[in-house]
Amino acid sequence: MRNTYQFDETDQETGYSWLHFSPRAGQALRAFITLVLMGGGIAFYVWYTRHSPDASPDSIAGYAFAITGTLFAMFAGILYSRRRRSHKKRVVGKLHASLQWHMCFALLALVFLFLHSFGNFNPRTGTYALYGMIALAISGVIGRLLDRLAPRLIAGEAHKALTTRGEDRVESISQKLQAIVVHNSEKVQGFAAPEESQTITSSPVSLAGGPLSNHFPFEYRNQPLHTPWDLAYISLEATPQELSREAGQYRFVPDKKSELMRPGALMPGAREHMAELEEVEKAMQRESFYRYVIRYWRKLHVLLVLVTLGLTLWHLIFAAQLLLPTLMHK
Amino acid sequence: MLRAGLSKHGKKAVSLHKTGPQVAQELLACIGCNECLLACPALDEAITIDVLNRETYSGPISTPVAHFARSCFQCGACVAPCPVGLSREAMMMWLKVRLLRSGWEKS
Repeated sequence: MRNTYQFDETDQETGYSWLHFSPRAGQALRAFITLVLMGGGIAFYVWYTRHSPDASPDSIAGYAFAITGTLFAMFAGILYSRRRRSHKKRVVGKLHASLQWHMCFALLALVFLFLHSFGNFNPRTGTYALYGMIALAISGVIGRLLDRLAPRLIAGEAHKALTTRGEDRVESISQKLQAIVVHNSEKVQGFAAPEESQTITSSPVSLAGGPLSNHFPFEYRNQPLHTPWDLAYISLEATPQELSREAGQYRFVPDKKSELMRPGALMPGAREHMAELEEVEKAMQRESFYRYVIRYWRKLHVLLVLVTLGLTLWHLIFAAQLLLPTLMHK
Repeated sequence: MLRAGLSKHGKKAVSLHKTGPQVAQELLACIGCNECLLACPALDEAITIDVLNRETYSGPISTPVAHFARSCFQCGACVAPCPVGLSREAMMMWLKVRLLRSGWEKS
């Protein structure tokens, strides 16, 4: 373990692989000790079952396995929790060693308590406690796998949500969209306003006096008729009142045949940016989900600790009720 | 972008990644007390906070810092002990993204 690090330009690191693994001397030592203890327990189990007629959970060997397994479980639970909460003698990197010991002791506890059962899986308190222990160990193993995979997934999603310069991509896309909107609105405003004579025409009908006059709004009544008008006269010529589809102000009127109905015609690039925005939003949702998975998996592990503790206490009380009378009569 | 604080249900929401300028600001605000590193269960090497801060934002990444960045499992244990309320977790995520991008650039 180096106390200070002198950076050397040649040891520049790149890449973030899914299953990165760089073994350390401490890790190897811990794994070796765990395997030796585990192997010792299994060897004793094999020897005992071959040479003793009393191979049961309540035999001497059974109690030895139970006591050792419980001690390992206690070490696993207490040492790491204490180290994490302790504010004394803290050294950078020591908490990681405690976490690894936590895993080693937990695996040892599981193996020794499994050996304590001597293959006896009757539906009793001890079996339920063992199932709790198995569930706890599995949740721990899955948790460690998640610790490796979830941050890598989060980094992938964060990469999608950041620009190459490390800025917020949502903001960048929003600015581009805003620019498109401004550009288009300027184009709309830039259209030449239609001349008044083209659009505003006076009513050809005199509303004064006639039989229909009472049906028109009040302000039109009693106004003179500018041009003579005959109801029977129909012309196919364009009248001043008809709308010209070519006029500038009707450029944005939807029409199936219009070129404007082509996707992106009004706002070139807007759809692509919107799709990009949705992609970033989804990436951020996934990032949030992975973070919740990491957080809640820990809570599940702690919950399983409590359940296993409860089942173990139940089993201990049950075992004590059986054992104490026997010991008292001896 | 950081989205921390309370959600609409009153529960503490998870924080998302931070942008480059936000990370730079946090690095400048770091007082180098080492509390985040002491609380970290993923760090297995005695790297110092100044080395980590120097290599986090830009420039080459040394082997111990890269190893630490890859090992960080975003548990958030480093956030609570910070006396100035910084998010080392978000800084580590920035480092992870840098490593990820550098790997792609290399390949």
